[in-house]
Amino acid sequence: MEYFRSGLKSVLGTPAPGTQPTGAETVERLVSRVSTSTLLEDRRDACRALKALSRKYRLEVGAQGMDVLRQVLELDRSDCEIIGYCLDTLCNITSKEVFEEEHESNINMKVNVGEQFTEMFIKNTENVTLVLSFLEEYDFRVRWPAVKLLTSLLASKPKEIQDIILVSPMGVSKLMDLLVESREVIRNDALLLLINLTKSNANIQKIVAFENAFDRLFDVIREEGFTDGGIVVEDCMLLMLNLLKNNTSNINFFKEGSYVQKLAPMFVLPDNIEEIGWSPQKVSNMHCVLQLVRTLVSPNNPVQIVTSCQKTMRNANLLEALCDILMASGVPADILTETINTVGEVIRGNLTNQEYFANVMAPSNPPRPAIVVLLMSMVNEKQPFSLRCAVLYCFQCFLFKNEIGQEQVVQTLLPSSTNSALTTGQLLCGGLFSNDCLSNWFSSVALSHTLIENPAQREQLLRVLLATNLGAQPVSLLHQCSVYLQHTTKLQAKIGILMLLAMWMSHCSQAVQIFLNVPGAMAFLTAQTSASEYDNNEEILQGLCAFIMGLCVAFNDNSVQNYSKENLSQLIEKRVGTETYCKKLGEISRHEVYAKAAKQPQIKAKHSSELLLEFEFCKLFKALEPVVIKALGVQRDLSNGMSELSLSEHENALLLQYKELIRDQDKKLQDLQKNLNNMHRENQDLKAQIEELRQTNSQLHDQNTLLKAQMQLSTGTTAVNEPCDKIQQLEAELVEKDAELERIRKDQDDLLELLTDQDTKLNTFKNRLKELGETIDDADSEDNNSLGSDNEM
Amino acid sequence: MSYAYLFKYIIIGDTGVGKSCLLLQFTDKRFQPVHDLTIGVEFGARMITIDGKQIKLQIWDTAGQEAFRSITRSYYRGAAGALLVYDITRRETFNHLTTWLDDARQHSNSNMVIMLIGNKSDLESRREVKKEEGEAFAREHGLVFMETSAKTAANVEEAFINTAKEIYEKIQEGVFDINNEANGIKIGPQHSPTNPSLPGAGGAGGSQGSSCC
Repeated sequence: MEYFRSGLKSVLGTPAPGTQPTGAETVERLVSRVSTSTLLEDRRDACRALKALSRKYRLEVGAQGMDVLRQVLELDRSDCEIIGYCLDTLCNITSKEVFEEEHESNINMKVNVGEQFTEMFIKNTENVTLVLSFLEEYDFRVRWPAVKLLTSLLASKPKEIQDIILVSPMGVSKLMDLLVESREVIRNDALLLLINLTKSNANIQKIVAFENAFDRLFDVIREEGFTDGGIVVEDCMLLMLNLLKNNTSNINFFKEGSYVQKLAPMFVLPDNIEEIGWSPQKVSNMHCVLQLVRTLVSPNNPVQIVTSCQKTMRNANLLEALCDILMASGVPADILTETINTVGEVIRGNLTNQEYFANVMAPSNPPRPAIVVLLMSMVNEKQPFSLRCAVLYCFQCFLFKNEIGQEQVVQTLLPSSTNSALTTGQLLCGGLFSNDCLSNWFSSVALSHTLIENPAQREQLLRVLLATNLGAQPVSLLHQCSVYLQHTTKLQAKIGILMLLAMWMSHCSQAVQIFLNVPGAMAFLTAQTSASEYDNNEEILQGLCAFIMGLCVAFNDNSVQNYSKENLSQLIEKRVGTETYCKKLGEISRHEVYAKAAKQPQIKAKHSSELLLEFEFCKLFKALEPVVIKALGVQRDLSNGMSELSLSEHENALLLQYKELIRDQDKKLQDLQKNLNNMHRENQDLKAQIEELRQTNSQLHDQNTLLKAQMQLSTGTTAVNEPCDKIQQLEAELVEKDAELERIRKDQDDLLELLTDQDTKLNTFKNRLKELGETIDDADSEDNNSLGSDNEM
Repeated sequence: MSYAYLFKYIIIGDTGVGKSCLLLQFTDKRFQPVHDLTIGVEFGARMITIDGKQIKLQIWDTAGQEAFRSITRSYYRGAAGALLVYDITRRETFNHLTTWLDDARQHSNSNMVIMLIGNKSDLESRREVKKEEGEAFAREHGLVFMETSAKTAANVEEAFINTAKEIYEKIQEGVFDINNEANGIKIGPQHSPTNPSLPGAGGAGGSQGSSCC
């Protein structure tokens, strides 16, 4: 700390004596120094100081320095030291974690300040691309903090960072190159970064796989010594798990790339494992490897992929290795449990693998089949609960779609079998009626799996006889189950047995017949079903009883006198009431236990009390619930005083009638459909025609308006032209006339002038004449003269 | 299931030209008539034989939609071969080839072998792009060309195998640095890089003897 103080002093200069600058002030001065200083050394020192303050004064450094730091990243990228300080500082301020130093300085600090700074920083996606580009810088001072900064950003805003990296060119490639980094600390941090980056983003997962992730990871795992390696091996496995979980494309790639074979060395246990024991890290590593195997063959994957992965695993001797672990001694219980689950899924639904498993022998004395040894654990109270669940799951997987296996198990219970050794069947029967209710449940479920989709075994199992007491008559297994059902007080045992009975009696009228003949069985079911109050999961019990009653109706061949189909449905209607019955039946699928169990084949219970319903039973129930309700419904409709024989005849007739009706209706429907189609077509045609007409209409309309407009225009101009012409004509005429008038006036003036001249002349002549003595009638002569002159004109 | 070489391919081209169908026909010998949009990228693989050698093809079938373009670009660099597909019944898919080619050239390694494929050759009646046009485009840009039908399987095998042959020849010529996995080529597990009869690391024009194995 003293070092930093002296460093600070040198950067900031000595503070004025007597005044201690506050943190905010110091940060402010440092930030301004980074942004204004022209000397690289100064900027670098300021950045170093900011880094030192970025934990304690995170808020101040982040708020004031973010932009400056970003600038430095862009402008000073040639100087590795300053870039390193910058990246470290950014890493601190965007960190999700709350630093100890922060608490001293600011107690009521907002919790997610790192997240907010992250948001600010990545708002400009270029910034992330910039940080990614620093991954290419080999210098340790840059590359390592760049990885750490990305990890920090990713922790706060995973989705956003994933999206940015996904679209930034070569983003994932740059990260992948870090896996071959020789400096382990960078490689390991890059591994953690990739684990977070690939979480629930299939696109990134695929690119990472494409970039040879599996090769790199297996290289690292090998270098680190496989499962004996440290936590890095675990990290590698975790990354692989991320890449494969629910990613069919990558699983396919994993299988096609022969990576399954590369898993084999992971399962090799050293010969002296018992002496050296299992380190906690080895347990963790092994867990991851087992998880990985299970991810490849998970029942949730497409069947095609599961089958081919299973085949590859057998061929690569993985199944063998797994079975070896199963039979090895000194294996920790949780590893053993997980191995049992894994073996289950590797053989599930794959006949060859199931056969292989059936032949695995335990190294016990005398040698026993592995299955027997496992079942011994299942019905052993002292074994851990999760282990017992795993054994049941494994056994279920062994029987899944495995008729031969089912037959073999049932065979061990039949009287003909002379085998004196302990068998699966004996173990299950023992468990069925043991004092441990969990064993009852496990054994019932296990036994019910020998009957799934296998009518032959349902009938075979009816032949199983049990010797109850010495000297007493042997009773059938079904009989004993029904009796035990009535006697036991434990809910779990009852539910187990009821599920077994349900599986047994479905589609098997022989089983129904035997059950109906068990004294008290029907009464027990009726009592349960009609009970009005319950507590603690008893609604499931009542629902199950209702279900079994329904099965007795639906798969009844009317061979038991008092419990014919009709009798039973009347019993249900009268004693229970149809509504109550349906309600009780519905309780099963409404219960959360049902939803939980129906989710996946594996039994996932944390505590033994949670074990009530089971996956395959849920499937059966889902398929048969409507059948049961229908069976009751039909019975009720037909129970109007009809005898059994006529009933079926009547049923037949009714059926035919209905068939006829349906056929008729079908025909009608088809005709109508055809009609409808025709209508549709006609409608379409008409619509098209209308459209056409409308178009022509509008065209015509347009043309019409056009013509009208033209016409108007033309008539308008002629009308105006005519008067115009006239006016022009008239004007012309007027001008002409005017001119004429002018001429005439001029002529007149000339004539008047002439006349005056003549007059003067005349007067002159008159005077001369007078002088000459001629008498002249003045007036007359004048008139005549003027007249004469006029004429002359 | 050992192999001498492993080649990584990508299939690119507009949406709906039949990229996934080509892959399905090649790996499973099936045809899926319903167009199921590829989301991001899907993987497929098959073994072929060239020159007596087992060659494993790992093929990444990419989504043609624009929305996935930035994601699919991540696959260019690590691929040794690319099938660039258009639909002979849709002219626009042919018109977009230049964009695809530019994109591929920009983001891939320079040695990537690109095969141009005119798909849906079974739909002769709806053809919009003449075979000659495809050939001309391929010649102009230095690509290998083929018309295929993912439906009838015509030329599908050939398209994938010829691309592999082209890559194989480039390896023999020493053009590809086979020790750099970023080129989309891997040597089989039993064919260690130190095997003298294989073209060595960076040995351009090195030993060309292909008589081994």
